[in-house]
Amino acid sequence: MAPENSKDSHAMDQDVQPPPSKLLPKEAKKKKEEKKDEDLSEEDLALKQQLELYVERVQDGDPAIQKMALEAMRQEIRTATSSMTSVPKPLKFLRPHYGTLKSYYEKMVDSELKRYLADVISVLALTMSEDGDRESLRFRLQGSIGDIGSWGHEYVRNLAGEIGNEFQQRQTDEQPVDDLMDLVKQIVPFHVKHNAEPEAVDLLMEVENLELLTQHIDKGNYKRTCSYLTSFASYVPEPDDTLVLDIAYQLYCKFEKYPDALRVALRMDNTQYVKSTFAACKDLLEKQQLCYILARQGVLLELDEELADNDEQRELLQELISNSKLSEGYLTLARDLDVMEPKTPDDIYKAHLVDGRASAGASVDSARQNLAATFVNAFVNAGFVQDKLMTAPSMESSTGSSSGSWLFKNKEHGKASAAASLGLIVLWDVDGGLALVDKYLYSNDNHVVAGALLAVGIMNCGVHNECDPAYALLFESVNKEDPTIRIGAIMGLGLAYAGSQKEEVLDLLTPIVQDSKVGIEVAGFAAMALGLVYVGSCNEDVAQSIVLALMNRSEAELGEPLARFLCLGLSLLYLGKQDAVDATMEVAKTFHEKISKYCQVTLDSCAYAGTGNVLKVQALLSLCADHLEKGDSHQAPAVLGIALVAMAEELGLDMAIRSLEHLLQYGEQNIRRAVPLALGILSVSNPKISVMDTLSRLSHDTDSEVAMAATVSLGLIGAGTNNARIAGMLRNLSSYYYKDPSLLFCVRIAQGLVHMGKGLMTLNPYHSDRFLLSNVALAGLMSFLHGSLDMKSIILGKYHYVLYFLVLAMQPRMLITLDENLKPLSVPVRVGQAVDVVGQAGRPKTITGFQTHTTPVLLATGDRAELATEKYIPLSSVLEGFVILKLNPDYQQDHLSS
Amino acid sequence: MPTVSVKWQKQVFNGVEIDTEQPPYVFKCQLYDLTGVPPERQKIMVKGGLLKDDGDWESLGIKEGQRLMLMGTAEEIPKAPEKGPVFVEDLPEDEQGTAALGHTAGLVNLGNTCYMNSTLQCLHSVPELRLALKEYSAAVGTGIDPSSHSLTAATRDLFGELDRSLRPVAPVRFLTVLRSKYPQFAQQTNQGLYMQQDAEECWTQLVYVLSQRLQSVPWDEQPTNTVVKHLFGIEFKSIIKCEESGEESSESETVYTLKCHISSEVNHLHEGLKHGLKSELEKTSPILGRSTLHIKESWINKLPPYLTVQFVRFFWKRESNQKAKILRKVNYPLVLDVLDFCTEELKEKLKGPRKVYREIEDAKVGIKKKEKEGAEGVKALQNLGTSTSDENVEMVDAEQAPSSSEKVNAPEPEVTGIYDLVAVLTHKGRSADSGHYVAWVKQDSGKWIEFDDEQPILQREEDITKLSGGGDWHMAYICLYKARVAPPY
Repeated sequence: MAPENSKDSHAMDQDVQPPPSKLLPKEAKKKKEEKKDEDLSEEDLALKQQLELYVERVQDGDPAIQKMALEAMRQEIRTATSSMTSVPKPLKFLRPHYGTLKSYYEKMVDSELKRYLADVISVLALTMSEDGDRESLRFRLQGSIGDIGSWGHEYVRNLAGEIGNEFQQRQTDEQPVDDLMDLVKQIVPFHVKHNAEPEAVDLLMEVENLELLTQHIDKGNYKRTCSYLTSFASYVPEPDDTLVLDIAYQLYCKFEKYPDALRVALRMDNTQYVKSTFAACKDLLEKQQLCYILARQGVLLELDEELADNDEQRELLQELISNSKLSEGYLTLARDLDVMEPKTPDDIYKAHLVDGRASAGASVDSARQNLAATFVNAFVNAGFVQDKLMTAPSMESSTGSSSGSWLFKNKEHGKASAAASLGLIVLWDVDGGLALVDKYLYSNDNHVVAGALLAVGIMNCGVHNECDPAYALLFESVNKEDPTIRIGAIMGLGLAYAGSQKEEVLDLLTPIVQDSKVGIEVAGFAAMALGLVYVGSCNEDVAQSIVLALMNRSEAELGEPLARFLCLGLSLLYLGKQDAVDATMEVAKTFHEKISKYCQVTLDSCAYAGTGNVLKVQALLSLCADHLEKGDSHQAPAVLGIALVAMAEELGLDMAIRSLEHLLQYGEQNIRRAVPLALGILSVSNPKISVMDTLSRLSHDTDSEVAMAATVSLGLIGAGTNNARIAGMLRNLSSYYYKDPSLLFCVRIAQGLVHMGKGLMTLNPYHSDRFLLSNVALAGLMSFLHGSLDMKSIILGKYHYVLYFLVLAMQPRMLITLDENLKPLSVPVRVGQAVDVVGQAGRPKTITGFQTHTTPVLLATGDRAELATEKYIPLSSVLEGFVILKLNPDYQQDHLSS
Repeated sequence: MPTVSVKWQKQVFNGVEIDTEQPPYVFKCQLYDLTGVPPERQKIMVKGGLLKDDGDWESLGIKEGQRLMLMGTAEEIPKAPEKGPVFVEDLPEDEQGTAALGHTAGLVNLGNTCYMNSTLQCLHSVPELRLALKEYSAAVGTGIDPSSHSLTAATRDLFGELDRSLRPVAPVRFLTVLRSKYPQFAQQTNQGLYMQQDAEECWTQLVYVLSQRLQSVPWDEQPTNTVVKHLFGIEFKSIIKCEESGEESSESETVYTLKCHISSEVNHLHEGLKHGLKSELEKTSPILGRSTLHIKESWINKLPPYLTVQFVRFFWKRESNQKAKILRKVNYPLVLDVLDFCTEELKEKLKGPRKVYREIEDAKVGIKKKEKEGAEGVKALQNLGTSTSDENVEMVDAEQAPSSSEKVNAPEPEVTGIYDLVAVLTHKGRSADSGHYVAWVKQDSGKWIEFDDEQPILQREEDITKLSGGGDWHMAYICLYKARVAPPY
């Protein structure tokens, strides 16, 4: 019997049920049946009479006759074929006799015949039994232990459903479930054999025995099973989700799909599994692919003898893991797309397209506008190693180096950001970049030195170098006199070693966090840096020192805008670690009331970030419903928290966007200010029209802080997409706000973000088909967002370099295919909107509305690529980032197409 | 002696020997030979640590074949420029506005006062006039004509306010004074609303009042020559000829605007101006003793730094009893050369400055003549210059034109007869007393701003020449040209 979907079976049920009429049910029924009788064809009539005869015979005293009748009845039922939408005829005609058979069954003495009858009744119960009676299951258990599959697919499915319910019932009543498990063991192979792996998985989940699955899965169906397992893991509450992923991991390992196994291991954040995957993988080429996946997730795996065959191989693999090829690949992409030419901020502002009121070009330099231009220039030319402001060779030979001249067009702390922008321009290119930054380290201007130190950190972000230049250059400056230099060095360390858990950084920075003599801003940045380096590690030492700092600081200091970074640094330690945060939560309750609530909310939202935990979302929403007395500031992080928790999967994400809409309408001002930022992170680098429109509306809000947040968020949702619609909106905003320097600054920043990396980048922390979440990227986004909560004193104040935290989330949104020597290889690929094919039978299309390009190509959020040629086989099932291709041995040149 | 490889920028130096007996400074000198980076600028990184000049090789544990990283360049350390840039944020509050925007504020429409707003914006674009007004002191105003004085003072105050303000300025006081001085601007409709007026009338009257009041010119000792006359006065020399008797008389007059008459054959400003220089008039001929048709031909005898050109678009239409508008498209250039309209004497006089000017332009473009030629050219030029000025003196004497005589030797730059468009006053609508007036003003930065009452709008230069009429769009009514000058020689 072919598999039917539930819709059909539902239709079937309806078909069978008599029309509900409460007054005279029996009469109505009778009438109907009479009518039906009249309609019956002769053949059907014969069958009906036959069956009625069988029913009578079954009640006969003679066992032989009984047996014959039963056999005949079974035969009729099993051989009955009918269309998918209606009940098989024999079942239909036996319906009126269900009661008769049942009552006769009760009277029967226990015998083989009785079990036979039980089988038949069990099948009849499929259409007859009342909801919740589970009669089908009851008679099944009393029946013979025959092959249940012979009764048809629908019967098995119904049975599976009843088992689930029965199992729960028995669990609560603490009754044994062995007989149920025997049935399950019959049903699972049946499902797996008939392309219904999801149903098998569901049943096993219901009876809490997923391990049974592994023995039934084979080479032909592990893919579908695993994709079902991995995708529904997001909806399973903790800790069952780990179990689900574990099964998927084991299946992938069993069938030697190491790249997929590695992804699952990374999703589980299980270092042991990562290592064993690596060790299990014997093919060098495939190992290299594993290295690329590790590099993308930012996991720095130190390879030892076990993981690599020889020193030469180890060096090669280690280099791949350290991500040092990223810059090269990115530039290959840029050259292929012909976007190497540096862009100036004016190319981005496109003032000539702005109609209406706009500045006629200031006659005097504006420090704020120059600073904005610095950031725009940095974001737009990020990673290209050349630009027109900072690295351009001197245009006028007489005035000396022009790179110096732009630097000094910034004022005071602006110079720090300007010097640091160099780091963003040479992003990932440590060897070439250090030479450019070097001269600024010798400057006698403290701001310039601070910026240069930060630049060193920025360019090392996400890449690792065996000589470890970032630490060598930065560690001395961390304890200098000048707070600006200290912040530059500390933040640089945080960016360069984010997620690496480097112990030297811990030793260096904890004294600063605890030292109550240093300014709260230095301590705040130190806590942030530690939070980034130890992100999601639950490190006790770091937690301890930040907690101490939060306890020892005075009330006035905790009221400073940068005190929030202490809380955030602490919270980042528990990013995504769920209940591991509980102990620290308790401690946070004892903090000074000024910071306590802020800290608690931040801890909570970080710990459950990316889990989709509905209860947390509800708790945070209820926090936002409170009416606050003046002075409390924890509602804004709560709003961000909703976004963070809900961003895990698409459904929760859409719900969160709707909830935020309510907050906008009914929330108070401090909540409304955070809503645009929350929308920004929910849809980061993913310019959805609905979100875009909401933000566009908010960017004209009467409350300037709402408008600022909305403007920056427009930049976030369009980050690295070159989205023309957002670019147009921002141009209009630039003319709308031409007189308001603060808002204009935000507009400029947003413009820089939209054109980030000339449209080759993304800020989305999710990658690999939205399966993996990069903790470091999320931490970077969070730092930026918390900085943006107090726009006026942080981003518009002295600490605009907080914007550089975004570098942690910046990644090229590319697909580069490599040949077996890791050289770029151009092959045709189809790129289109990803389609969810989880749980679908056959080989459904995975993308829609695709176009064929040759690699390297850009992938937008929600895009998926597949090879358009059979000539090569990709080593990774997810075509993102660097993918190694190997020649397909079965490929035969098609003479016609060539 | 372990050998290591040193990575510097994108290069790798393999097999560099380290003499562990010697301090690391010696190693740095070794690298100096390889890279050219001075030892004090070298930073050598060994596994997350920096190599100190007097460091200990032992503690670093350098291994054979280890890779070190050298950072450093021989590049100059960037120094702050001696004179840092001035930032808007550092300026006093009241200057921030215009500095940040790059243009001045708009003027609020007080009820059909766009004719006045646009006039004011155009005149405000003349820096010399602003300067002169700034120096206009209240003491001067105690003369015979108090209303003229108060209008001048009101203009001064308004211009001052425009310079400072970020927000649109409401010219309330100016309007009141203007209406009291010229009651025709206070006309009201039946409903009691103030009526739209002709901007040209406003312009003329305002310039007239200013010419009366602004007496002294800082660079001119002659008290009779007013600022306004100097800035805007165009001196005409005309010959009036009687067709019948053949008698000729000549006269000279100073006007403030050049009129561009629009007839069916006029397509370009140039033609219109030419047209306006020739006119017929009825005049009593002393010889014939009756009034006959005389033909008047005029030439410009002296050019001002600012040339006002008016398109005579309105004429009195008897049937409809209102000023009707000629919608004909008349092109006007961004750069106007008025040499054709000058007297022979003036043409001669302009030769020198024009040559100097052209040379400067050529030099700017980069056309360099041979040195020798250049020297000769300059000499010739000097000769020419002296001779023309001599001639001028004689000529001026002969023609008893005292107002222009002192100009000749004045040390200020010479006009060249070439003018740049700096402001356009446009009208949109079908009659002078209705529709809408707008000023389009070129800023110091070279960008154009459309002042639509309180709203300044950025415009592109290409769009400015599109205001030439021929439709219902804004069309130029008054153009203000600024002279290109050549330095005195």
